[in-house]
Amino acid sequence: MSVGALPLAVTFEAFTDIGFWSGVLVVAGIYAVVTLGLQLNVGFTGIVNFGQAGFMAVGGYSMAILVLEAGLSFWLALPIAVLVTMGFGLLIGLPSLRLRGDYFAIVTLAMAEVVRLVAQNARDLTGGNKGLYCEFEGVNQTCFDDAWRSVSDSMLGFFESFWSDPEPLLPLLIVIWVTVVLGVVALTYLQGTPWGRVLRAVREDEDATRALGKNTLLYKLQSLMISALLGALAGFFLALFLATIHPDDYEPIVTFFAFGVLILGGLANYKGVVVGAILLWTLLEGTRFVELPISEEKTAALRFAIVGAVLIGLMAFRPQGLFGKREEMVLGD
Amino acid sequence: MTEPAGQAQGAPLLRVEGVVKRFGGIHAVDGAGFEVAAGSMTALIGPNGAGKTTLFNAITGFARADRGSVRFSGEEVLNLPAYAIARRGMVRTFQITKALEAMPVIDNMMLAAPDQLGERFRNLVFHPRAVRRREREVQAQAMEVLEFFHLAEHADAYAGTLSGGQRKLLELARALMTEPQLLLLDEPMAGINPSLGRRLLEYLQRLRAERGTTILYVEHDMEVVMNHSDLVVVMAEGRTIATGEPQAVREDPAVIDAYLGGAA
Repeated sequence: MSVGALPLAVTFEAFTDIGFWSGVLVVAGIYAVVTLGLQLNVGFTGIVNFGQAGFMAVGGYSMAILVLEAGLSFWLALPIAVLVTMGFGLLIGLPSLRLRGDYFAIVTLAMAEVVRLVAQNARDLTGGNKGLYCEFEGVNQTCFDDAWRSVSDSMLGFFESFWSDPEPLLPLLIVIWVTVVLGVVALTYLQGTPWGRVLRAVREDEDATRALGKNTLLYKLQSLMISALLGALAGFFLALFLATIHPDDYEPIVTFFAFGVLILGGLANYKGVVVGAILLWTLLEGTRFVELPISEEKTAALRFAIVGAVLIGLMAFRPQGLFGKREEMVLGD
Repeated sequence: MTEPAGQAQGAPLLRVEGVVKRFGGIHAVDGAGFEVAAGSMTALIGPNGAGKTTLFNAITGFARADRGSVRFSGEEVLNLPAYAIARRGMVRTFQITKALEAMPVIDNMMLAAPDQLGERFRNLVFHPRAVRRREREVQAQAMEVLEFFHLAEHADAYAGTLSGGQRKLLELARALMTEPQLLLLDEPMAGINPSLGRRLLEYLQRLRAERGTTILYVEHDMEVVMNHSDLVVVMAEGRTIATGEPQAVREDPAVIDAYLGGAA
């Protein structure tokens, strides 16, 4: 390229590549699902949940263990793993949601780390640092995603009938984004119901809400359990995308990226989550192609600096995010 | 004083006995007791630090009492969860106004209505029409109460945009949406201008007359207390030291002593 001589250059070829976009959209979709749960908790209930990565891990690991160790069908393992994750949310929330907000945040952060460290060390069950994918019995090999692969292959076969070389990620992409859309529709509906009104009241002032006869703990638990459900779904999608379940994929940074999405899109708005997820991951993946006359590690570090600068700029000039309501920011305190 | 029909003569709506609340070694409330007759307007007064707000908290389930008894409509309610006490019809407001600021006024009001089907998932899924029907009823009722308080024109405004006095009114209006038998108001007149204060008193008098709502309130303005209460309960240092009609309490030497700090 002629611009290669300039100190700073971006190659735009990647942006027209369907492989690049399907990768970005799969990851963005997974983050949209996780962050919908955060939006429900942080934006609409006022409980600061730092444990979404933990719920993803519980969902992903339960599903894989049920398939590989208990020999359950993948399709049966999915709903059971969702229930396990929601039950786990209940277990965590029951004592900690009675605490003041900042203590709850610390508990959830610790919970996610405990889950990850248990996964790393309970080798017999989780495969430890080797992760989970397939089990071998003689020549027979069972992988947790066998059932999904066959569905995905038949979908690709169908696409091939009118498209010569379909993108292999397309089936997963479709399933993820159908989930995102259904999630946005369902949560937006709930927000307009009397149930959603109680959640917002809890966010505004829990004591005032209790004084009006509402069992606020119950509503906070429900909010957290729905968030756990969404975390479990995102955990499934991540496992199918990476074709492995490994402790490193559930580090706290996952939760923090989800908070990045939340801030970018704006609090108390579900559509903002979707736009925020696409923007953040386009930005994070797009900055891979920034070419600088420095070493690759430095470029990699600089990517995060660029994304950080964008987030700081946003906080300074548009603290309510892209879609948040300024009134709700200003009047909140 | 005349009792509403159905209420046994002499049986108080609220009976507080021997309530103790300690914070570490400090006895914030140290054996407080009094009765509130149904349909009455009772004032709770006392110097700063006498334990009035702590007693309010203990009665309404916002603080765990160490000892004592609180009977509401004849049933023991001490140390029940705050929401459960509110559902029984004993509803409080706060000294520092708690408007739900980033919610519209109408949502503040509708939130407070009892028996809302749409607060449960099961009903949202299986009885959506009944939920919508109840929601319309609640909205109509909320507008009616807002009209009563001359707040209807602000229905769609965020509660945080109201003036301090309007927020006080909103908090009172919201408490009424719960259809309470007994209202506990913690300094309803504090921090609002005198003309709005007079209006608030008129509202309270009308509530008693029209709905038979019983009112227990903490207040520092002695003119208000003396002119608008059937009964005055006086607290000092965590104890109830006197109970009686305004005139009798005013002349009680123990009360004078408590207010003047033993100068006599």
